[in-house]
Amino acid sequence: MNLKDTRRALLEFWNEFRKDTSGLIGLGILALFVLVVIFEPVILPWKDVNRKWRNIDYWIDNSPAAPPAWTNLFAAEKKAVTTQLRAPGKAESDMDGGVGKILTLTFPYRFTADKAPLDLIFRATITGDVPMTFSVQRPDGTGIELVSHFEPGLANQGIRVTLNNEANATTFAFVKDYVSEADLSSLNSGSLEPVTLIFAKGEPTMASKPMALKGDYKLIVKAMLIDPATAVIADPHFVVSGAVSGVLGTDDMKRDIFSGLVAGIKWALLIGLMTSAISVFVGVLYGITSAYYGGVVDSAMQFIYQIVNSMPLLPVLIVVSAIFKPSIWFIVLVMVLFFWTGSVMTVRSMALQIKEETYVEAARALGAKNSRIIFRHMMPILIPYSFASMALSVPSAIVYESTVSLLGLGDATIVTWGQILHDAMAGGAVLNGVWWWIIPPGLSIAITGMTFAFLGFAMDKILHPKLQTR
Amino acid sequence: MYKWFAVKRILKGVVIYAITIFLLSALFNTVSEATQRSQIEEQIRLEQTRLKNLLPAQIQAFQVERRANLIRQFKLDRPIVERIIFRTASILTFNFGKSMTITSSKGERDVSKIISETIPRSLILFVVAAAIEIAFGIFLGLKQAQKPGGKLDRTTSVVTMVVYGMPVWWLAMIIIMFFVYTLKLFPSGGIHSVPMPTGIMYFVDMLWHIILPLFTLLVLGFWGTAFVTRNIVLGILQEDYIMAARARGIPERRVLFGHTLRTAAPPLMTMAILGLLGSIGGAIVFEGIFSWPGLGNLYWIAVQQNDIPVLLADLAVTIGLYQVGLISLDLLYGFLDPRIKVGGKS
Repeated sequence: MNLKDTRRALLEFWNEFRKDTSGLIGLGILALFVLVVIFEPVILPWKDVNRKWRNIDYWIDNSPAAPPAWTNLFAAEKKAVTTQLRAPGKAESDMDGGVGKILTLTFPYRFTADKAPLDLIFRATITGDVPMTFSVQRPDGTGIELVSHFEPGLANQGIRVTLNNEANATTFAFVKDYVSEADLSSLNSGSLEPVTLIFAKGEPTMASKPMALKGDYKLIVKAMLIDPATAVIADPHFVVSGAVSGVLGTDDMKRDIFSGLVAGIKWALLIGLMTSAISVFVGVLYGITSAYYGGVVDSAMQFIYQIVNSMPLLPVLIVVSAIFKPSIWFIVLVMVLFFWTGSVMTVRSMALQIKEETYVEAARALGAKNSRIIFRHMMPILIPYSFASMALSVPSAIVYESTVSLLGLGDATIVTWGQILHDAMAGGAVLNGVWWWIIPPGLSIAITGMTFAFLGFAMDKILHPKLQTR
Repeated sequence: MYKWFAVKRILKGVVIYAITIFLLSALFNTVSEATQRSQIEEQIRLEQTRLKNLLPAQIQAFQVERRANLIRQFKLDRPIVERIIFRTASILTFNFGKSMTITSSKGERDVSKIISETIPRSLILFVVAAAIEIAFGIFLGLKQAQKPGGKLDRTTSVVTMVVYGMPVWWLAMIIIMFFVYTLKLFPSGGIHSVPMPTGIMYFVDMLWHIILPLFTLLVLGFWGTAFVTRNIVLGILQEDYIMAARARGIPERRVLFGHTLRTAAPPLMTMAILGLLGSIGGAIVFEGIFSWPGLGNLYWIAVQQNDIPVLLADLAVTIGLYQVGLISLDLLYGFLDPRIKVGGKS
């Protein structure tokens, strides 16, 4: 088979293939998946998800089990969306009677929701001694001095100030001027939620029934640079930790589900394609060898085939995973050990015919070795026929891996859809109706399966024309 | 003739099962021996507490002697090949030993008792599901094959492909979320309410528990059956004798159900039994999600409690059931297809 023949064969195949709508849809979705994998670094909202999926610190600023942001469209009461406030307005002034300087960072925040964020978190990376004070300017003209924060002697270290934990006393003082006597008696600075009150209208009932005060807020950070030459405030930003978050919300460990889902695509494709490609190759080789040599070799190989074929894969896979705690590569290997049987019988029966063809006889007469006949003359003809079964076994490989992961036996160093579902099961997502944690990963598995089913059935129709409808 | 075919097939199945178990025993040799040793230690400790009025030296001597005894009894002092063969033999005779923590509903720790009480529960769910699924799937497949390329055929084929890679346990999670926790119509799992009702209510209660898992299995199940039926029947409908039958004026219903279905019976049988066997694997997770106390749920419990004897015995029994299914498939096939019954090389 030379290049020209291959090209013509491919072109012929394509001309047949493009008549099949579902096959084209499958191809389209697959291309989309591949694009997402290639542009993963651009698409991911959380860039380090691959390395830090199980790192609690990485997700700490998110709110737990927050629904997707777009649920606001259907909600009567709009909730604040998780955002990051970057690019503050900067102003520098000299400190009274000293060498230091005061750096004022102003973060504008437009608040339009009906429900206040859960928390406001300030983060920066600081070098040197930098005492800071935080305050807020509200749209109604009032302002609150919230909290001051100082960690001495930092050397390029991150700081994290959560207003919901630290601004209790000051917010209490602010609220006291508004609320009624009745409310005041039930209020204490320990139990109130500062961030809710910061975004509430100044009314007598603001503590018991906070109404959202919509408008433009200014979060102001005043940092004293005691030694302006060495002090550095790098990457200062506020995280507004809202009650709804991201494209697909967060799970109860505050992880962004969309990021996990995107990171899972490449593993699903890798597991599926690798398992099916290797197993089909092994299966075709096995079938050809069995047919080519015949006799005792054939009988022995058929017996081995029957032994493997008489073992159910999933129970074995689960027990092996439970006992050996394998990596993803080992799981793929075990799947290959069972998957290769899928194509053996068809290939064997086809190879039995090809073996008797004249050109095989001619090759043998010319003194070609058995391996040459198998690899050069028989494999190239039979491999294309197994493309359909290759595509059709991709979904099962993905489902098997997810199933093992669902039981909590997957490879803990990667993110797969099955593992997200395992966490959802363990985190009581079914019980609590956290649908955005359950539906997307399973739907991804189902869509991937559908994609390869579309491709596989389309190829099957072309390669085995008997199944075509009249 | 059929007798010999049957005997040969059963013998072959037994040999294959023995080889399978031998391979698995070799694979899991280390872990099951470690488990056995820790069980021996536990037993010695237990016996030791029953001894009274003994000097420390005597206790020590008792321990050493008892340990050596038990190790000899379980052949842990023999060469590795003999140990593996011994373990294979005990599994083949359903001698699974004692569990680590799991008990049967009567509180026994005998693994074979634990497993034998779960088998019927699994069978009832999956056999009922398979029966409904096959009946409905074959009916739908026949309808599809009657008008290939028609509206019904096209929609059904598309749905088949859409649900092709959908994990049934994921659908189960969603169905539970919706029907159990949102609508509060059905129990979240199990096979009976606690306390167990008696009389007629016992069956009503069981029905109430089985509806949701059954529904889930059926929603995804019959599409594949219908699709395969369609392809098989479509092939047969193009045969000459069908055309001849139609030409003779035999009613279409009889052509379909008499002539076509009779010829299609062997491959349809294969599909049905293979489908049932395939659900053995899926059952593991499925039962776990519905807390259906069958063989599959036992895997979950054994994995969670790290109960190796139960896990391995469960695996052996599952493979055994699978093997029985494959054997009965071939026997039925030979029964339905006379060419195989006569069989042989002639």
